[in-house]
Amino acid sequence: MKKKMEIGKKIAIGLSIILTVCWLIPYIYVICCSFKPGAEVIAVPPKFFPRQLSIENFIGLFERTDVVGFLVNSLITAICSTIIALILGSLAAYAIQRSGAKLSIFLVVLVLCLKMIPTSSIVVPIYELICKLGLYDTKIALIIVYAAINMPFVMWTMLSFYEGIPTTLDEAACLDGATNIQTFQKIILPICKPGLATAFIFTLFLAWNDFLVALLLTSTNAKTFTVGLAGFLSAYNLDLGPMCAGAFLFSFPVMAISLAAQKYIVQGMTAGAVKG
Amino acid sequence: MKLISRKTLLLFFLPGAIFMSAFLIYPIITMVIDSFFEIGLTGNRAFVGLENYIHAFAAGGFLKQLKNTVVYIVIAVGVETAIGLLFALFFEMNYKGNKVIRSFMMVPLMIAPLVAGLTWKLMMSSSFGIVNELLQRVGIIADSSAILWLADEKWSLLACCIADIWLTTPFMMLMILAGLQGMDNSMVEASKIDGVNMLQQIFYIKLPVIKPVLLTALSIRIIDAARTFDIIWAMTEGGPNSSSETISIIIYKTLTRYNDVGYASAMAVIFIAVLVAFTIVFMQSLWNPKKKIG
Repeated sequence: MKKKMEIGKKIAIGLSIILTVCWLIPYIYVICCSFKPGAEVIAVPPKFFPRQLSIENFIGLFERTDVVGFLVNSLITAICSTIIALILGSLAAYAIQRSGAKLSIFLVVLVLCLKMIPTSSIVVPIYELICKLGLYDTKIALIIVYAAINMPFVMWTMLSFYEGIPTTLDEAACLDGATNIQTFQKIILPICKPGLATAFIFTLFLAWNDFLVALLLTSTNAKTFTVGLAGFLSAYNLDLGPMCAGAFLFSFPVMAISLAAQKYIVQGMTAGAVKG
Repeated sequence: MKLISRKTLLLFFLPGAIFMSAFLIYPIITMVIDSFFEIGLTGNRAFVGLENYIHAFAAGGFLKQLKNTVVYIVIAVGVETAIGLLFALFFEMNYKGNKVIRSFMMVPLMIAPLVAGLTWKLMMSSSFGIVNELLQRVGIIADSSAILWLADEKWSLLACCIADIWLTTPFMMLMILAGLQGMDNSMVEASKIDGVNMLQQIFYIKLPVIKPVLLTALSIRIIDAARTFDIIWAMTEGGPNSSSETISIIIYKTLTRYNDVGYASAMAVIFIAVLVAFTIVFMQSLWNPKKKIG
């Protein structure tokens, strides 16, 4: 009986390894394509692995587009918007969680609903607003919009973390003569570090990966990497090699960070769902 | 004892609230107002009442896109759940190195949807796509251009679904796994003593236990699938002949290509209303807000 279980387990382990490898094939294929010479990417019939390694695609990518500029834009907008969303969102969420008023239930539901709103439908009025403010095609516009769109997510994550902190802790700090700001800064925030880390990584990736907002709100100056990457589809229709190189360049840091910070990502994904 | 004065709470709350009101709630309100107007290219507005809404539901409105969205949700979320569950059951087992394998499984999780779309566009292209080459080698199709994934109205929506499934199955797996790991092991042990087989164990013990997590994951995924934009835009831009056009895509197109702000707003209002209603109904059955606020 036990032996049978052992064999079953081994088969299952084998299967799960095979499944994982299969699942990663598309991504491996992109990496392979980015190191193929340009002509081999669109060769008929296609080969999975490159027959000869080449960095031709990367050179093409850097020559044809302003890769560095796009990357800088993506990075600046992602980081700045994340910091704004994190500071304002965590403060507001604390106020909502600790107020205990009837209104706060309404606010929690409101936050949840805002979190669910599809970006594709609110870009219409956001576009008008940004144009009215004269911020079209600026990094500031992207920073503001990303921060606003992602703030409900930060609040949602932080709400579930604050909930786990007993109010007696606030009380103790209060009795010791700490001001409210001090309590928040020195007592609550340090405990919530994992929550903050989760919210930070997630918001950062959401902004970094965004395509739609940047597509609509930028044209040349503040163009982000995703928009530049999509440009390969229309302007240089058959330049799939550089596109792969770009896709690889763009997503590799994300992969590396997400593997390293997996704990926080798992927490962010399952926040509020498991504890319910 | 009242710990924090109302004034301080307000002080904490206001910066975020003002920011969100200005850049999230205000746009939504203007959108609702815009949806009752016909707005020309020069910005001249004419009040048309519910005409934009009627237009949306009339022939030539967004009914086709609505159907596409529903089909997309059903296929993508359905398959994701099935595969995700299967993976979760595999990865639940304890053995050396399972964490490493699990980590690799999660790699697609954080890839930009746009990159996922571009990846699959490359793989599914008709002549030099690796997917058709593989299908031909295996013998499913006779010729490498037998299925025009992205250019055939029959396949385009399914092609987008496949990319979506690839990108988000790990999320489903992760959620289910979290549910499985939170369950009390003694139940499984007890069932083993009672001589329950593997399938019975899954269907009668594990699934009921993870039901709340599964439902939450489903609702998150349904909403995310409904608002998918990047993947479809990267792969087909809604074409050919709007066969893969979902509501997100048609709203964007109406705004940028046809410049019809009023009509785009009306569609967006309907879309948001449906999603918010869904969220509230779905969440209410699972999650009690009163429990959250101490």
